[in-house]
Amino acid sequence: MKIKILYLILFFNISICASSNEILNESQIHKNLRCLVCQGQSISDSNSEFAQTLKMVVKDLIKQGKTEDEIYNFLSDKYGDWILYKPKFNYENFLLWSFPYLVLVFGGFIIVFLIRKRQKKT
Amino acid sequence: MLSNTGNFLLSLNVLLSTLIIYYSYNDLKTAENLISKKVFKISILQSTSILICFFTLVSAFLVSDFSLITVYQNSHTLKPIFYKISGTWGNHEGSLLLWVIILTLFSFLFLIYNKKHPKNYRLYTLIIQNFLILGFLFFILFNSNPFSFVSPPPNEGLGLNPILQDPALAIHPPLLYVGFVGSSIYFSAAIASMITNYSDKSFASSIKSWVLISWSFQTLGILVGSIWAYYELGWGGFWFWDPVENASLLPWFAMTALLHSLLVLERRNVLYFWSIILCLLTFVLSVTGTFLVRSGILNSVHTFANDPTRGIYILVFLSLMILASVYILFSKYKPASTEINSNSKETFVLVNNWFMMFYLITVLLGTLYPIFTDAISNNKISVGPPFYNSVIIPVVVIFLFFMAIGPNAKWVKNKFIDLKIYSLIILAAVLLNFIIFFFLKSYSILSNLIVISSLFLILSSILDLLKKESFNFPRVISHLSFGFLILFIGLNHNFSIEKDFNLKIGETKKIDNFKFHLKDLKLVQDTNFKAVIGQLKVNDLLTKEERVLKPEIRIYDNPRTLTYEASIQTNFLRDYYLTMSNIDRSDYYNIKFQKKPLMIWIWISVAMLSLGGFLSLLRHAKYN
Repeated sequence: MKIKILYLILFFNISICASSNEILNESQIHKNLRCLVCQGQSISDSNSEFAQTLKMVVKDLIKQGKTEDEIYNFLSDKYGDWILYKPKFNYENFLLWSFPYLVLVFGGFIIVFLIRKRQKKT
Repeated sequence: MLSNTGNFLLSLNVLLSTLIIYYSYNDLKTAENLISKKVFKISILQSTSILICFFTLVSAFLVSDFSLITVYQNSHTLKPIFYKISGTWGNHEGSLLLWVIILTLFSFLFLIYNKKHPKNYRLYTLIIQNFLILGFLFFILFNSNPFSFVSPPPNEGLGLNPILQDPALAIHPPLLYVGFVGSSIYFSAAIASMITNYSDKSFASSIKSWVLISWSFQTLGILVGSIWAYYELGWGGFWFWDPVENASLLPWFAMTALLHSLLVLERRNVLYFWSIILCLLTFVLSVTGTFLVRSGILNSVHTFANDPTRGIYILVFLSLMILASVYILFSKYKPASTEINSNSKETFVLVNNWFMMFYLITVLLGTLYPIFTDAISNNKISVGPPFYNSVIIPVVVIFLFFMAIGPNAKWVKNKFIDLKIYSLIILAAVLLNFIIFFFLKSYSILSNLIVISSLFLILSSILDLLKKESFNFPRVISHLSFGFLILFIGLNHNFSIEKDFNLKIGETKKIDNFKFHLKDLKLVQDTNFKAVIGQLKVNDLLTKEERVLKPEIRIYDNPRTLTYEASIQTNFLRDYYLTMSNIDRSDYYNIKFQKKPLMIWIWISVAMLSLGGFLSLLRHAKYN
């Protein structure tokens, strides 16, 4: 019975947060863009003129109805991938995105293997 | 004069380290059970002379002796005394001297506090530690000498970067150095243990205190650094996954893994070689971090010192260290055959290590990847917070569940996991999460999972506290505060409010539920800077709260720099965070306002996490 209530609440929880669809968040986009004239800051955190200009550009692009990815593509074509704090998932960055999870899966296998080998045969 | 004294003491230390290695090596062959008095005496002398050497540099900063290049480049006569002193380690050369001090003091303390362990194990540890000391002493003498002389001496120094003139940043480096330079001692002990085949439980207990000390200080050091970044850098965040921040986090992951695997070694005599690898890895990562930071190979906010020749020296030193330790590891490796049961505390410790390695490799990869793409395809990429957040956070969810269940498992063979209690805890966690977002604001599925899993850890840790039977109090404190840390970060992230707008004097602006009024600007002259201080009234229309915040724009004289000082108003529920900056050719000021809920609890959680380490140290000292 308790388990059933648990599932019900879990389901309820998920369905509610699934319905709250995300809107295009301007400051979220700012956080993903590097301020090219600063030392390790995003344009959201910087007071530089470059950051101010880029914020205007992002505002314009949102007005034009561009999606988040389209904005990133537009800016990386213009300034290079250096500007994006979230590296694109492409051929070159494949290893960056996948290797951590490979390590995770591999590590899991090692532990299972180790314990199987070492477990007392009963 | 001070330059000569310093150089003499540095050379004296080279001599003393060499003597320690020589006498310790001779002492290995004697049949005596005790280490000869000579070694102790030289060790005391060595620690004393390196401390005097350090105070020589401090006094050079105090009296502003600009005949020393380091003092000339990093100090100024008008600087407050406190920052003259902290300026000693606020630069490359001085901080390396701090490195050597910690290496030396730890070497001495390890020698005198491990009397019941075998003589040869202690002597080998001493020998290896002194090789490390020599390596850094040569680096200081030939490449980064803080006592280098300039003639004729300049009349005035260049001053310390104003953002480094800060109390938090004055204590941040010493704390962090005790952490990761302190890890050198178990690097040395690990190699000594392999050479002398001292591989049982007592090896674990001989290094446990040192691991706990370095872990607790590393945690505190990271905390102070984050607090500094929060109020000084003016963007309201506290962690940016900057390469230098990552460099401090990498050894932390390795130390945390080691701390847990030592539990198994101490108790069951298994995981010996794995613990050895973690000992070696921690210090290797510490030196790697130093290499990355000091060589200037990475773009970061901490570009306080970089020079390619330094990089090459550290790289050579690092490679020698890795080669030697890998060689010894392979020549001594023996496969173990102790039993491990799948449902036991041992397995849960392995699970901890598994996740720590995942975090470590993810952060290491993210930090180094831009160097590879730049070298291979000439394409510069940035790996920033969005990468780490999206790769690591989903895994943290699972990790927190293990972290709650693991400590209650029994050694050797666990009976069963009490599903009934855990499903009740999950139920409570889901309900609490439900209440939070039902009454406040909904957030993404991932945030829901983070909140639920951290609540799960918190609730089960609290249940552990309430249990009558004996439990490991320091452990519960650390696990509980880690749960709180993740919870508060999650809530802070989801409920922060950010407003960015322009105002001029006398103007009032209403945005959503806030009203802002720039009352006045004041010009203030301080000892070493001029400041424009704004008087900004913030009205929260929902809570009817009214606060006046005073952000500053500071103009420092030496060196001439403009900084923006955030005005922060803290209470137990939330922080108001406000920065003001001037806009060129306009009488408007750009205002950034943030309302950050539960901010102070993030700091308290980390402080408690570290406290758990110190308590565990006391506990260990009491029983051993």
